[in-house]
Amino acid sequence: MDFKLDSDTRDSLDALRSWGRDVVRPVGLEADREARPIPVGHRYFDQCLERGDGRTHWRPAGAPSSRKRTSTFTRLLLSEEFAYWDRAVMIANPGPGLPELSVIGGGTEEQKERFLLPFVDPDRPRWACFAMTEPGAGSDAAAIATRAEKDGDGWILNGAKCFIGSASRSDWILVQATLDVSKGRAAQRAFFVEQGAEGLGPFKIEKKMGLKAYESSSFTLENVRVPAANLLGGEERYGKKAGFKTAMSTFNAGRPVIAANAVGIARAALDETIRFARKNDLLGRARVRDRIETISRKIRMARLVCLRAGQLADEARPNIIEASMSKAMAAQVAQEATSAGLELVGVTGGRGDYLIEKLYRDAKAMDIVEGTGQIQRMIISRSLVGLPR
Amino acid sequence: MDLKPDEDLQLISETARRFGEEMLAPKMREAEAAGRVDDETRQAFREIGLAGLEWPEEADGAGLGSVARVLVNEELGAADAGAALALDGTGPALYPILEMGGDVAKLPSEGQRVLLVSEFDGDLGIDQERVNGTIPWVPASEVDSIVVLAGDRAATIRSGFTIDPLRGAGLRAAGAGELRIVDAQAHDLLEDPAGAARARARARLYVASLLLGIMRAACDFSREYAKERKAFGKPIGHHQALAFLITDMQMALDGSRLLVHDAAWRVDSGLPCESTAASALAECIEASRLIGPSGVQILGGHGFMADYPVEKYMRESRALGLLFGGFDAAVEEAGRQVCQSDAPLELGLGEAV
Repeated sequence: MDFKLDSDTRDSLDALRSWGRDVVRPVGLEADREARPIPVGHRYFDQCLERGDGRTHWRPAGAPSSRKRTSTFTRLLLSEEFAYWDRAVMIANPGPGLPELSVIGGGTEEQKERFLLPFVDPDRPRWACFAMTEPGAGSDAAAIATRAEKDGDGWILNGAKCFIGSASRSDWILVQATLDVSKGRAAQRAFFVEQGAEGLGPFKIEKKMGLKAYESSSFTLENVRVPAANLLGGEERYGKKAGFKTAMSTFNAGRPVIAANAVGIARAALDETIRFARKNDLLGRARVRDRIETISRKIRMARLVCLRAGQLADEARPNIIEASMSKAMAAQVAQEATSAGLELVGVTGGRGDYLIEKLYRDAKAMDIVEGTGQIQRMIISRSLVGLPR
Repeated sequence: MDLKPDEDLQLISETARRFGEEMLAPKMREAEAAGRVDDETRQAFREIGLAGLEWPEEADGAGLGSVARVLVNEELGAADAGAALALDGTGPALYPILEMGGDVAKLPSEGQRVLLVSEFDGDLGIDQERVNGTIPWVPASEVDSIVVLAGDRAATIRSGFTIDPLRGAGLRAAGAGELRIVDAQAHDLLEDPAGAARARARARLYVASLLLGIMRAACDFSREYAKERKAFGKPIGHHQALAFLITDMQMALDGSRLLVHDAAWRVDSGLPCESTAASALAECIEASRLIGPSGVQILGGHGFMADYPVEKYMRESRALGLLFGGFDAAVEEAGRQVCQSDAPLELGLGEAV
């Protein structure tokens, strides 16, 4: 047993901390104040590229590998630290984003070349995104109704997607659609839809309660035609890949990341709370100290639960329960930490120009994205008591 | 960083688990009724070598630390927390001696029962080498000596006290009584603020880890019950209201366990541990307030009856969480430290992040 951080991770965290303090937090506060996503031409995105962000770690065949492998563990801590400074700014970052791993894991060689090569050494900030959620299908992903119909040597897509991150600025969108909505997940396919495709859009940039720095867009697909080459993995991938889902279902890397983000937000709230309490001489009151102790204890616990899920992932051991627990717990802690912080700040928090108030609005999404707290509990219950699907 | 115990410790904890399952759990009601653990069980406990777990090697102990302690205590606590207290003769009374520069040669001999009491438990004071005070409840009936921890000081008393038997709210296998100390002679007086704080931290982890055990037993029992018992045509655990409750219980248990392990690791690494240990105990008590009563709730009417163990888990986790100042003193201690520090929060990692 050893709860100590290695020095490499600590150095990476230190570097991220100065970037966070000097660049990320101010950009996040600006976006929140102006109630809009960071605009495409914003200097922040150029800074990201200068810093080496916004790239894929995929490399064309024969090219030297991009970087040494970072453990899930370390990535969770870095993600937590970024979210401490501003989680929305992190999501706004350019790069191949969410679909990157799907393309690397499930795309054909030709698709990787076509869709990831521009992200190897991008000439300008570039984005890509994954479109799953629909107005009528959130947690119940089997209910996705965007239709894909075979049309000669291509496909025709029809439907509506919502709350998709960075969609209007993406080079391409990986769209989840169904061949037959009555057949659930098994009939779903993912298609690359390139920006500017006829019938794609318009994009409605959503107005949000929090996390304003990144764009969440809703859009329709109306008879959008894509070539057969745009079906993720190609036709032959389906039918023989029955084992894929089974393998994936013992392991989850996405939920602990959201958990880490929630821990980051909660930590920011705690620091703000202590700063306020110190400045206003409140720390002499037992009631105030008790609340601060509770928040800090819950944050430490959520972080350990999150890191445990990460450690299991690094050891290639099943982590489904732990991943869901981390997500369910951390999201709740972020909610409690920001809310309790607001209470200590009092009516000052009602002004709407205090960081703690922004964090309160930001934190809520952590209990919704990547499976709501209720969905996480259903997943855990399947293992604990055999809750039927 | 590695959040799980290494193989040696896993073996020790496995030994404790087997002992608990085979020797303690089957006799828990018997021990509760008798107010003591029988001689056969005591003998078996001595033979497997768990008795001197944290005793230094020079005193013929295993010389292991807090991580080993919390792992073993969880296992014993899962079987019978009262028996665990009765079997570990010195128990947390060892900590003031170890942490405040006491003489390990003067450790009580094996087989003796030594009780640790602190100023949190009642009006207790060490004054001019005399000790006076009353503790309304101690989980013990007969003890050979008592280590008194008050403020920055600790002392041992060997006479001048009585324990009047009580029924006890729980942990009766260890006995129950009201402790009166009248003008007792203080021996081996120790004074060391930092050591006293560490001793308190370790005592808190001692309690916290027994709580982990009781909570685990309550979670396991009620969960298995919920998979079998049917209502409205399906196992009660398949009703979402209970499925989610069972999930929340498991989350509370797993989370508090990690806090306990983190704090124990800090003790063993010589890092500041007072605030993390206090927080870990606070979290365990908070978790036990959910898990104890929920375990009973899941069994419904059966849960209320002594035919099932869950009512015992509920009572005993609550009683255990009252020791050494319980929740409020733990929160007060941890809160003072969290609010004091000017540095960025450490949040459970070995060094500031």
